Amino acid sequence: MVGLAPAFLALTFGLHITMVNLGIGLAWVVPYLKWRADRGERELESVARALMRFYAATYGVAGVFGTAFTVFLLSYYPHFLGFAGNITMIPFGLAIMMIVLHFFSISAYWYGWDRWSRRTHYFIGFLLGISALLIPVGFRAVFAFLNIPAGLGYDPAHHKFYLDVVAALTKNPTYLPLYVKSIAAAFTTTFLVVMGAYAYKYFIAGSEEEKQVALKTAKMFAKPAAIGLGLMLLLGLWYAFSLESVPYKFNNVFASLGWKVADGKAYYNVSWLFVLKMIMYAFQIIAVIYAVPALLKGRLTRTHGKILLAAGVVAIVTIAAGEYLNAFSQYPFFIAVWPDVLSGRVPLSKLASYGINIPKEALPSVVSTVNSVVLLDNTASTQHILRSMGIAKFFPQVNPVNEIAVEGPVVALTFGFLAFLLAAAAYLVFYVLLWPSKTEAKAVAEAEEY
Amino acid sequence: MSAVAHWSSYPAAGDRLLSFIGIEIHWAILQYVLGLPFMTFIALLLYLRSKDRAWMRFARTLAKGFVIVFAVGAATGTTVEFGLVLLWPNLTEAAGRYIYFPLYAEIFAFLMEVVFLYMLWYGWNKLPPKALAAVAFLGFLGAWYSASMILSVNSYMVAPTGIEPAYKPSGVYLYSQGYPKIQVYMPKDLVPLLNVTALQKVAHVDILGVYGDSVKVAIPARVVQELVREAWSGAKLQDSVLVHFVNKTTVQHLTLAQVQALAAKLGVPAASLAGTKSPVEMLLSIPVKNVLDYILITTVKHIGYMSITFKSPVYPATLMHTIGSALTVSGFTVLAGYALRLLRMPKDADPEYKRYIEKAFKFAAIFAAIAIAYQGFIAGHEMGRAIAYWNPEKFAAIEGTSEHILSLSKLLHTDKIMPLIAYGSLSAKLPSYDKIPVNYCKCSLTGAPNIPDCRPPIIIHYLYYTKIGLAILIGLYGLIVALIVIRNRLGIVDKVLNMVGIRGELPSRFWLMLAPIAAFVAQLVSTLGWAVREIGRKPWTIYGVMTVDVARTVNPAPTWQLALIAIFLVSISLGLIYAVYKILWVPGKPRPR
Repeated sequence: MVGLAPAFLALTFGLHITMVNLGIGLAWVVPYLKWRADRGERELESVARALMRFYAATYGVAGVFGTAFTVFLLSYYPHFLGFAGNITMIPFGLAIMMIVLHFFSISAYWYGWDRWSRRTHYFIGFLLGISALLIPVGFRAVFAFLNIPAGLGYDPAHHKFYLDVVAALTKNPTYLPLYVKSIAAAFTTTFLVVMGAYAYKYFIAGSEEEKQVALKTAKMFAKPAAIGLGLMLLLGLWYAFSLESVPYKFNNVFASLGWKVADGKAYYNVSWLFVLKMIMYAFQIIAVIYAVPALLKGRLTRTHGKILLAAGVVAIVTIAAGEYLNAFSQYPFFIAVWPDVLSGRVPLSKLASYGINIPKEALPSVVSTVNSVVLLDNTASTQHILRSMGIAKFFPQVNPVNEIAVEGPVVALTFGFLAFLLAAAAYLVFYVLLWPSKTEAKAVAEAEEY
Repeated sequence: MSAVAHWSSYPAAGDRLLSFIGIEIHWAILQYVLGLPFMTFIALLLYLRSKDRAWMRFARTLAKGFVIVFAVGAATGTTVEFGLVLLWPNLTEAAGRYIYFPLYAEIFAFLMEVVFLYMLWYGWNKLPPKALAAVAFLGFLGAWYSASMILSVNSYMVAPTGIEPAYKPSGVYLYSQGYPKIQVYMPKDLVPLLNVTALQKVAHVDILGVYGDSVKVAIPARVVQELVREAWSGAKLQDSVLVHFVNKTTVQHLTLAQVQALAAKLGVPAASLAGTKSPVEMLLSIPVKNVLDYILITTVKHIGYMSITFKSPVYPATLMHTIGSALTVSGFTVLAGYALRLLRMPKDADPEYKRYIEKAFKFAAIFAAIAIAYQGFIAGHEMGRAIAYWNPEKFAAIEGTSEHILSLSKLLHTDKIMPLIAYGSLSAKLPSYDKIPVNYCKCSLTGAPNIPDCRPPIIIHYLYYTKIGLAILIGLYGLIVALIVIRNRLGIVDKVLNMVGIRGELPSRFWLMLAPIAAFVAQLVSTLGWAVREIGRKPWTIYGVMTVDVARTVNPAPTWQLALIAIFLVSISLGLIYAVYKILWVPGKPRPR
């Protein structure tokens, strides 16, 4: 059982990350479709517009939940954020500059549709795609840092921590596989979602022309989706192998399934989540094997359409499951390798190979500082893990969560507001954005003409 | 020292400049997010009352404007958020720990904004006009709610709850008695460990009373900032100034178990105290940060963790003044847009189009005039009074009450009437900049912070008077344009305008051409106001609590990196301006009949 603070963080992060994954894919898909439309396939213009509309809306909501996540992090774990803020200027700085560029690109691309010259519009589309790939370069570096704090240094003369960015990027065995896997997952999910949505639309489209456009679009993304799914298996294995360097995290996922490292003990077993993820992955594979051949041959049935749509939905849920698996497999620690270091499963001598540079005489001070910020909560599960690993003595017996941020009135307020705003957001997305126009207000329509 | 040299003599000049650029870009955009939805709401109400389609079109144009700027405002807001975390992580940590609530609650405001502003835009053809007005209301309410949360934190930085200023309007300076002071609630279990007599006599700490589990005290800001500095530099009690105020008798009689219990209460892990040999040694090896945290969290809980920032004495004025600024800038910008349309109106323009443009222009003229009048006579006045009372050092710098500078207030003789405006009495006296000790913020035991002058940079005097001068000019311009557009409704106005030779139901080309300049000046006035507020707080980041060098990251970026980021931000802003021109301005060009 996790505490309230990690639960709220997980909720906002889950909503944020699924939409962000779709955004990474759509940032390339939309400009690509527009480009093909400009080159003569005019029917793809409407698809590009529809996807861009969906993208702009979901990205806005993703941005809001991303900001919510950061503020929740600040409120629940101010000491951790202060610690991280002092050392992560370059990876976070890069990410944030790209976020600014990406926001600008979305606005300029969407609102400037048919208003810029084609060349300018393509250039903005290119910025859209590139910035979508560069944002996770910084963020995934931070996530990899949370696996192994590669590049972390301590300067005893000035009593400060610092980050060797080159070492953080090159000496962290989990960084590259995590980044590449994330990007591939984003594209694969987007392809599956677009394929599924348009395969289903084929059966509900109002006109023959719309049906043919839907079929063409679904076909276009069928092969990339299938290739992506195959690739995910390899990239998933790559990331799993890289996590062998982090026994605590690795064993929490794989030990009870028979794949073990170090002492092979799982202290917070999340293998069930891995199995669930694999079931969902298998469903996508089966759906593609079953329905894609029919789609490519133009013999799509309604059942095929429903299965492909379901595969798209399941792909989105799989993204969330994968992210939760990555996060909770290191629960209750912000830094996954830290319990291994404290318990001796990862020897101190090994840290130098990750570019971690801490002078021997400063070690007690460094350990004490990291201990003061590394825990996520102080629940019974946490205490049990700390005791089982024999590292409880390193941690204070007080709750690491900012206690005034989880007081009753604040929690009640949070639930209330989230419920209200999620309902409003659902109304916005499903009624206002996606539903066909039903109630054209007379005066408004007149004003538009006028 | 020159005014600019004084400003740059405080630490982290590059980081401060970059933060200013980032926050200013965000603020420049944000004013439209605060102002335009409100104007849209009014326009929709006017449509509902009159059923005149011109109002609906006007509302639609305003909505288009804020939807574009909102997206970029959100992006720049994220930049500011991360900028605070990366450039000022220690400030961010302190804010997250002790005054997190408004930041937390702001997230819901942000969600409210994004949901309802986008609902308004995307639902324009799907929702009936009354529902549109309701959504517009919720949209601007979300934006104002958001502003009210963030501004409470900024107000707390300007004048934290519990601040006791060092100057009385009767002309009494209290620096020699340790002012300015901050009121805190000292937990009772810490009090016996301290030599209260020494604290009162040497450190000028005042005992204000006993409140439940704690004793309320007023501690000099120079002591508070030193403790904050020690806490964030990782110092232990043995290195702290607190050692000078320890009650030796009590401490020497402490048992190991008592110290261990205290350490556990303060959140210090047993393992980190393992090497200590005696209770005293163990006590002295406790980090200052844990002790300070205990004191501050007790204080926050006593004052109210949800309300502490809203109790800042400058908060009401700040909120009024900021919303006023947003409405003024939005009003003048809309006025400029429609003035340009009038200037370029073709002779054969569609009469309906012309009527719509004229109507929108008149509305914007009246709106801008009301907004700037409110801003100048009510909100600005209240803001000035609040600063005069709660932050006398900044007020002295703003008014330029130094004998060693070219004081514009003396030149213009406004210093004669300023006591009445600021303190409500002509017999009151303005604080003299020269009488403020240059070391009033420094801890006498350590000499920190390492700066030559604790007083706010005098450059804000010139920035402030430039701001006021420009505000008066656009105020007069707004008044004249508003009088012209209402002359048909008020005979006396018509007579006055005729007397001064101003004719016509609409302003002449001369007045219309001034509108874009007025819009630019309105933004400039707002920027200068923000600059006075932020620069004038230096060397403090949180007045009386945390200085700028403590708030800053321990790993500052080199200047070239800061410059690169600044260029990037400015480039994106210029791109945005061009995009707005292409997307908002060009498609709305007048249609021929």
